Amino acid sequence: MSATLEHPTSRVTEPRKVAPAKDGRKLIRSQVRTGWLLLSPALLHSAIFIVVPVIAVLALSLTDYSFGDSWSWVGFGNYSELFRDVDFQASLVNTVLYAIVVIPLSMAISLAIAIGLNQKIRAIGFFRTAFYIPTVTATVAIATIWLWIYNPGSGLANGFLGLFGFAPNQWLAEPGTALPSLMVVGIWQGLGTKIIIYLAALQGVSRDLLESADLDGANRWQKFRNVTWPALGPVQFFVLITSIVGTFQVFDLVYVMTRGGPGTETRVLVLDIYQNAFQDLKLGYASAETVIMMILIALFIGVGRLLQKADVND
Amino acid sequence: MTSATVPAVSAGKPSIRPGRVVLYVVLTIGALLMITPFVWMVLTAFKSDLEIMKFSWLPGELRWRNFVEAMQTAPFLRYFRNSLIIAVGETAFTLAVCTTAGYALAKLPIRGSKALLSYFILLLLVPFQIILVPLFLIVKSIPLFGGNNILGQGGIGWLNSWWGLIIPLGAAPLFTFLARQFYVSIPSELAQAARVDGLGEFGIFWRIMTPLVKPALITICVFQIEAAWNGFLWPLMITTSDSMRPLQLGLAIFAQNPAEVQWPYLMAGTALATLPMIVMFVFAQKRFVEGMANVGIKG
Repeated sequence: MSATLEHPTSRVTEPRKVAPAKDGRKLIRSQVRTGWLLLSPALLHSAIFIVVPVIAVLALSLTDYSFGDSWSWVGFGNYSELFRDVDFQASLVNTVLYAIVVIPLSMAISLAIAIGLNQKIRAIGFFRTAFYIPTVTATVAIATIWLWIYNPGSGLANGFLGLFGFAPNQWLAEPGTALPSLMVVGIWQGLGTKIIIYLAALQGVSRDLLESADLDGANRWQKFRNVTWPALGPVQFFVLITSIVGTFQVFDLVYVMTRGGPGTETRVLVLDIYQNAFQDLKLGYASAETVIMMILIALFIGVGRLLQKADVND
Repeated sequence: MTSATVPAVSAGKPSIRPGRVVLYVVLTIGALLMITPFVWMVLTAFKSDLEIMKFSWLPGELRWRNFVEAMQTAPFLRYFRNSLIIAVGETAFTLAVCTTAGYALAKLPIRGSKALLSYFILLLLVPFQIILVPLFLIVKSIPLFGGNNILGQGGIGWLNSWWGLIIPLGAAPLFTFLARQFYVSIPSELAQAARVDGLGEFGIFWRIMTPLVKPALITICVFQIEAAWNGFLWPLMITTSDSMRPLQLGLAIFAQNPAEVQWPYLMAGTALATLPMIVMFVFAQKRFVEGMANVGIKG
């Protein structure tokens, strides 16, 4: 990435040298003016709608603000209250569980499919479309479709398993199967993006290296382990980060399919934040929860980074 | 996987290799698993109330009127129109803000443009869910809107308005970054030539450089339309009246109401919500895939 970023800055200073000194300065000044003018809407927008909220969430988390006029600083009171809150504990556990199941599985499956699609095969367009369509479809639509698939009475899941003589299951209503059922949908929907990114990366793997590995008599596994896998490094990390951020954000799916039930079996962090903030109107409390989610995401990314480093070094 | 496998470079491949067959079988099963839920959705949308009582694949007759009746049960057409307004509004706003910023970052000699670029890249990493709560408060306190005074107090600001639905989620840093990447690849000599001919800086941006990045603009459009069309949490938070609701929200509420869950109608509504994005994907497939892949590699 840095290579592409260095590029333009060295180029934009060039006009200084070409044009005569006085005119040149005037020209540069008008360019700079236009530059700031063109940039200001984006800077203003990002400041108001991203930077200020990020700072505000940190500040709000130390208050008991709840839409009213009066509020006070409560320090870390929200945080200590959170860790006694059973709903929060359940959503924390479920979100982490969801992440540690969904992320590795979806990465492994999509890498395997991408490797398959990277061979010279027919109907590549069909396969690519098939794997990508769930990704472009709205999560709410996905959730309603799967709600119907998991329908205990006449849904596809029970109907299909019934063909093999399995007893019908209450997929989303059963404590044991509710979260796994959501995980299946999460993995299923997220494959497309990862496959496309892996596929693009696989096409960038050095042909020369693969061929020289062939000449050295390397088998497929050795070629994969020693040539392809290391070449995928940076892309792996990108896929990992986006997967972490994505799985921690899971909301639409849960909201439509289970509303966190049965009990608190599928309660996740964003659902808990949403309910605390917009149903119980505890904005300070919900902000503290958000800060914890931020720390968790950072922690996960940190661990991912360490794993990747360990993989490169070994 | 075993060392006995024939290396790819050796000549004289047999026409049918077992490895190939396994590959095709696995990929085909995978592709079917991806498509089946959609087929199931469409088939259900045509079934009668009696047919959905027990598991079956095909409807006895194609009940097209399910679609009509679904639209009478819930105002899907209005939801559809609302989604369209939001998608078009957000895309226009994004194009205006992000192409200008991307161009300035790529081509104009601003002091600290490298730091500014890092700033936008850093913002890419801020998940929307993190800023949810304060974002709501900010939108509620936009001054002089929705009965607010100049300090942003007293009214509802941009809540329950097109402004609130469109502006905060438009112009994401991702698109500024994408636009910049595309402008960087256009040679600066073209701008120089136009400058010599006396064209102003804004004219160079608008009339020389921007027409050259049309494919990039399409990529940004497709991405933004998809994001806007599929949005759910933000409209859920800031709309209170049914007349402003986008399709996904209407769908979710329809699905939640136990009295209203008539599966054929729900699946008809879902098909209506799904179809435009699938059609767009099929048409813009190449661009979409390239865009996605580029984000991954450069990001």
